[in-house]
Amino acid sequence: MIVASNYLDFSVNLQLIVGGLALGSIYAIVALGFVLVYKSTDVLNLAHGEFLMLGAYFSVTILVTQQLNFFLGLVIVLAVMAGFGLFIHYGIMRRMVGQSFFAIVLATIGIATIIRAVLLIFYGPAERGRMKVLPQGNFRLSGANIKYVDIIVFLVVALCVLLFFVFFKYTRLGLHIRAVADDLEASAAMGIDPDRVYAMTWATALAMAGLGGLLFGHVTAAIDQNLAAIGLRAFPAAVIGGLSSLGGAIIGGLIVGVIEQLAGGHIGTKWREPVAFGVLFLVLLVRPTGIWGRKDLERV
Amino acid sequence: MTGTLAPDAGPPRMTLKQLARHKMTPFAIAIVTPFLLGSIELGFRWQPYAAVVILVVVARLAWTSTPSGEQSYRQDMALWRLPSERSWAAVTVFALLTLPFMFASGFDPPMDFPWATWFTITNTILIFAMGAAAFNLLVGYTGQISLAHVAFLVLGSITGATVGIQWSGTFWLAVPAAGIAGAIIGGIVGLPALRLRGLYLLLATLGVHFVMLLAWREYLLRNFGFVGIRFDKPTIPSWLHWLPFINPDENGEFLINSQFRWYWVIMPITVVTLLFMVNVIRTREGRAFAAVRERDVSASLLGVNVARSKLLAFALSSAIVSMSGAMGSYYLGARGEDSFNINLVLNYAVIIVVGGFSSIQGAIFGSVFFWALPEWFKWAREEVWIIKDIDFLSDHPSEIDLAIKGILVVIILVYKPEGLTGVWKDVKSIPSRLSGRREL
Repeated sequence: MIVASNYLDFSVNLQLIVGGLALGSIYAIVALGFVLVYKSTDVLNLAHGEFLMLGAYFSVTILVTQQLNFFLGLVIVLAVMAGFGLFIHYGIMRRMVGQSFFAIVLATIGIATIIRAVLLIFYGPAERGRMKVLPQGNFRLSGANIKYVDIIVFLVVALCVLLFFVFFKYTRLGLHIRAVADDLEASAAMGIDPDRVYAMTWATALAMAGLGGLLFGHVTAAIDQNLAAIGLRAFPAAVIGGLSSLGGAIIGGLIVGVIEQLAGGHIGTKWREPVAFGVLFLVLLVRPTGIWGRKDLERV
Repeated sequence: MTGTLAPDAGPPRMTLKQLARHKMTPFAIAIVTPFLLGSIELGFRWQPYAAVVILVVVARLAWTSTPSGEQSYRQDMALWRLPSERSWAAVTVFALLTLPFMFASGFDPPMDFPWATWFTITNTILIFAMGAAAFNLLVGYTGQISLAHVAFLVLGSITGATVGIQWSGTFWLAVPAAGIAGAIIGGIVGLPALRLRGLYLLLATLGVHFVMLLAWREYLLRNFGFVGIRFDKPTIPSWLHWLPFINPDENGEFLINSQFRWYWVIMPITVVTLLFMVNVIRTREGRAFAAVRERDVSASLLGVNVARSKLLAFALSSAIVSMSGAMGSYYLGARGEDSFNINLVLNYAVIIVVGGFSSIQGAIFGSVFFWALPEWFKWAREEVWIIKDIDFLSDHPSEIDLAIKGILVVIILVYKPEGLTGVWKDVKSIPSRLSGRREL
């Protein structure tokens, strides 16, 4: 983190913005998984940061310890996380349908606690350095040091987001997920099995968290239990975009990443979260359901 | 007056079976407890007196009630309406009064069950119960989902340190000051609740949490440096030294420096605040809170001032949480940069949901669950046969505790959504179920 004396120095700002876009694209993919679950299953998933941490640790095992091929490893990580998502749905969430909103939120906190404990048991509390599987090093662009990793992370996320949008737009399952998210009863009446759709939603969301973990493992300073905090830091991203909008989550993620990086670079690292939440607060004051969120009607 | 009326038959007598159903459980416990206590070697002979006292208290509470069916205003307003409730209250009072003596007795239970450590845990449970109950009043009872809980613990600590240390006030000034600061800031933090609800409110209050943590770090750095704040032990003011049991030391001070003395500070404060909250729930404002939780639009149509109710709930809850924060800081004696984090918020949330959502009782059950359970596990790991031979458990003590806690949270939420309060209700209704009737 560089602290700039000059707020308008182009190269410094460029460097911060590129770093912010890399961080923001990870926020975006976290927020996307989070919004997906919230939108279609009405569960506020506070364990999403822990899912991402699980993905990061798991990709350390697969890619660093076992030294598997990157793409093979990526597929394995995504598949295992998706399987875990199925377990979350069939094992826990399905049994909690009909309970109060906050109780289900708490159940996700319980899951988060279990994940933390299991990771501590198997990996220990010691922190590991960041992963170095993707190409390291940097190049100079008009006076700014740009890291290859940042560019790759941004591109990978862009590609994945594109794939997810194709999935939602053109596949049958994607259509079902969108239908259930839009109107549960109507889609059930049309012969869509909500149970299966919920399971698939969880699987997709956790696969996204796995990908996010793999990428975040390359950007973060160290891989340890604090990694899960990204789940909370991606909240503003999800909400600024509007919780009912998948596209909003991505743009919100990028906005928050850049804002955090600029605030961290120019004011100080400890201001990152307060500034992000300050922006969130302002957005909520003007538009209580986010920028692209759908306004809910209140009926008595 | 005219004599044509039949003479007043008085309240109908209960049958023996009804008596057994309504009164026997607490009564049996009341009888058994002194004997249990008596069987423990306590070193001084207060058990016979205690037995007599509790018999009298319980008998008085249980037997002077009018049977159901006859309702008076006075009865409606009573805090504990049913005889069974009253006997349970008596048992609780008895337990609260005798606990410190039991812990201080130096009793050594079999299998090295840690006895004195439970004193620390009991005090912590009481502090947490106070904070959790206030949190529950806001989140569970008024339905304003807020994560700014730890922010107010921080505020309480800041106010406590400012008043108690920098302005060289005392503990007795610092705690009410924290309450006032909490009420004011709580009212301000509650403002977004007028516009946001549910998830969006949750996130706005999460922002308050992060801002308050930043303020805490800045406050620490500016005024106390990296080492953190050290709180002095509170003393009893000298003009109160004439009270019984207050024996000042050679410096003419009476320091609250042992778990035993802390208990007599914390317990009354917690009990009074809990009773206060129970009573708030029963007032017009409290019913307005519940109406706002159920549906604020309907509540406003019924004449509830929704804005006022929400702000009041925020201010009230925050004031009590700040007080518990100041008290907790003084109790622990030191607070550093890492004393507060987001996990603490989640822990409080776990406490209120595991204990029982929207009930003051639940906060107590939840705190006991949260603090007593790890200690129980620790003991089981070290002393209980078979369990202590499993190397895996002793290799990863804190991780296993964390995992068990998480698993229990999920299990309780999946199978018993009412939390431990629901379990407690089931346990209480066992006698009536055994006698073949369902309690109404």
